[in-house]
Amino acid sequence: MNAVRKTRSLMLSCAAVIALAAAGALPAGEAEAATLRYATIGEPPSLDIQMGTATLATTIGQNMFETLYAFDEAGAPQPMLAEGETISEDGKTIVITLRTGVPFHNGAEMTAEDVAASLNRWIEFGARGQTLNASSVEATGDNEVTITLAEVNGAWKSLLAFPNGGPAIYPADIVTAAGGEPIKPENYVGTGPYKFVEWRPNRHVELEKFEDYAARSEPSDGSAGAKEATIDTLQFIPVGDVSTRVSGVQAGDYDYAEYISGDLYGILKDDPSIAPHISSAPIFGLMFLNSKEGILAGNWKLRQAILAGLNMTEALQISVGDAELFAAEGSIFPEGNVWYSDAGTENYNQNDPEKAKSLAAEAGYNGEPIKLLVSTNYQQHFDQANVFKQQLAKAGINVELNVTDWATLLKERGEPGSWDMFMTHHGPSPDPVLLTFMNASYPGWWTTDERNADLAKLVGTSDLGERQAAWATTQELVYEQIPAVKVGDVFSFDIASPQLQTTWERAPAFPYFWGATK
Amino acid sequence: MLGFIVKRTGAALATLVAASVLIFMFIHLIPGEPAAVMLGDAATPEQVAALRTRLGLDEPLIIQYFYWAGNALQGDLGRSIFFDEPVTTVIADGAETSILLASITMIWVVLIGVPVGVIAAMRRGSWLDQGLSGLAMLLASIPTFWVGLYLILVFAAQLGWLPSSGYPSIFDEGGLANLRYLILPSLALATPNAALILRLTRASMLDVSKEDYVRTARAKGISPRQVTVRHILRNALLVVVSAFGFTFAALISEAVVTETVFALPGIGRTVVQSILRRDYPVIQGVILVIVCLYLVLNLLVDISYRFLDPRVELE
Repeated sequence: MNAVRKTRSLMLSCAAVIALAAAGALPAGEAEAATLRYATIGEPPSLDIQMGTATLATTIGQNMFETLYAFDEAGAPQPMLAEGETISEDGKTIVITLRTGVPFHNGAEMTAEDVAASLNRWIEFGARGQTLNASSVEATGDNEVTITLAEVNGAWKSLLAFPNGGPAIYPADIVTAAGGEPIKPENYVGTGPYKFVEWRPNRHVELEKFEDYAARSEPSDGSAGAKEATIDTLQFIPVGDVSTRVSGVQAGDYDYAEYISGDLYGILKDDPSIAPHISSAPIFGLMFLNSKEGILAGNWKLRQAILAGLNMTEALQISVGDAELFAAEGSIFPEGNVWYSDAGTENYNQNDPEKAKSLAAEAGYNGEPIKLLVSTNYQQHFDQANVFKQQLAKAGINVELNVTDWATLLKERGEPGSWDMFMTHHGPSPDPVLLTFMNASYPGWWTTDERNADLAKLVGTSDLGERQAAWATTQELVYEQIPAVKVGDVFSFDIASPQLQTTWERAPAFPYFWGATK
Repeated sequence: MLGFIVKRTGAALATLVAASVLIFMFIHLIPGEPAAVMLGDAATPEQVAALRTRLGLDEPLIIQYFYWAGNALQGDLGRSIFFDEPVTTVIADGAETSILLASITMIWVVLIGVPVGVIAAMRRGSWLDQGLSGLAMLLASIPTFWVGLYLILVFAAQLGWLPSSGYPSIFDEGGLANLRYLILPSLALATPNAALILRLTRASMLDVSKEDYVRTARAKGISPRQVTVRHILRNALLVVVSAFGFTFAALISEAVVTETVFALPGIGRTVVQSILRRDYPVIQGVILVIVCLYLVLNLLVDISYRFLDPRVELE
């Protein structure tokens, strides 16, 4: 009997502890009001934004690190840590004047040596550094760095402004010590309005306001201009399940939650406990075609047959859902963007199985299987692949799905003999040279003479008009040779607490919260 | 007793070595590699290859295994490729959540499963018994994630009584009050397990109640309450306690769905995320620790038989 009593007593004690814990719920105090809790889709990789292109790392890292230039609301690069620049007549030597009195989070003032060291590391090891095609970067004065390009690169300023895999400026000693390794969290030192506090794996990344932040004097404009950290603390919390992110905002546990499923938009847009923010920067689905090996390599007619047979509107309706969240847009860049062009887009969204059948016959196609590699990690990819398989079957094109997880897909797509097409997506890009299908070493390996000639024109000048014309020609070629099929623009949507007031209405590609209040 | 423990520990160590080989080989057989996942979609094959070399992933598999096993014997499970932290730190961080979640869940399981099982057994055949048994069957059949999402919807989103997700450590600001974050997940996780323990308790009680010594006890005029508690329940618990051991170990490793739904920084979610990222050292480390946990709990359950029933032969 004693044993039973003891057990009962133990159970009651445990229950009491739980009850006390429940009763001890912390009231929402002032400290909480000064913290913005951002529910992320997952755990970010390293926040050393020079080294990787993960969107989440940029979303978090942009609060700590700054670049020499930053994009304004219209997508044009404006000076951030730079003050201005002069460019030599041949376009290959760029002298950048730096702002003075800009402190790092460790208290040291930013110098030309810091900038040169950061740029040199990015060029050597950074995710996008080689795109600049620079032969040297040197500190040529106390507040001046000189970049010498191997070839004229009309995209240089955009490349220096793009934070995703971009040239964040760190103190020289930190980048020198890190070399090609990602910078460790204890060395996350930048010039941004927030500084690093802690990273607790699977719990949160916490940043706090940098009191000595040196803001620019121009008004805030996109990521450019003045930034004021109006919220004291930012917490980025990994919440993998989308339903939990939604419930968390409804319950007031999170102030902001990213990447909500499109099929929930219809339900949530009228929910008074949340405020939806549709993205201003569409992500677009891409189906890459193998230009190196297999049945599609060099077979333009068969590629055109595939494109002719696809109905993008149907694929987008099924994979995305609400019509407010997608646009069957053939231009690689969205309308309103400086790179928008309708060149070649008459071949987009044709939905013409008969034409596809005829082109396939011209191409000598006899029903051989075309292997489409797709992962289940991204539901939209999987849905679109299934829709395409059905649509192409109507045109007599035999698509075989190879369904894997994302990590396997990343490995398999690097083996030219194992696939003919694969599904992925592309985030917003500030310049055509950063598009993955324009990169000859990216799986797909599109590197025809025509593409090379167009690319040379695109990077051979800094004149925007000439570059826009060169891009229009390139886009036309994309619709002829089809290195990748654009599925359509997808506008992800995030949700926020109605109390959170941001400086933007539609969510930027990398949501930021300077100037926000709650 | 000592001989039994030594013998069982030896067998457990042999199992551990075999498990470590299987864990290592199976994980490395999965296609995909961490370097590509870490660098992101825009990485070129050259960048992926360079990172692969830096991480030591281009060494022959057998060398990687001996290197890993040798370090594991010294308590070093390696460094997480993704977090760049010692695996022991990653596991320790997740262990607090998982152990507390499993413990609180076990409290619910015991508080609900055992007493209700006893009541059902005592009222065998009545509408109450049939109702409770039917309810148990229903609860055991409902997926945990569904229960979890509804608990969040009702108690967090609508009533606002409890947090919807996450878990700050009890060593952080808030202290023990942070346990409130584990109430909803533990209830979700307890639902099917309490139902199973309820059915097990009921069945075991009914079996024991047919024993001769129970009839003797009743014939001696001992009160029905005393017969139930002292003679039936105590002996019926032998089976139930055995199930507790495995349920606890299973809760640690099977809480993946609950930890994902409630965004808890536990071991289950860590291992699933690590598989998706191909973070081999973390996967290997966590599975090795779980195997150890099973082996130790198995041993403890065997030993506990001896205390609950002196007739049990340990040899």
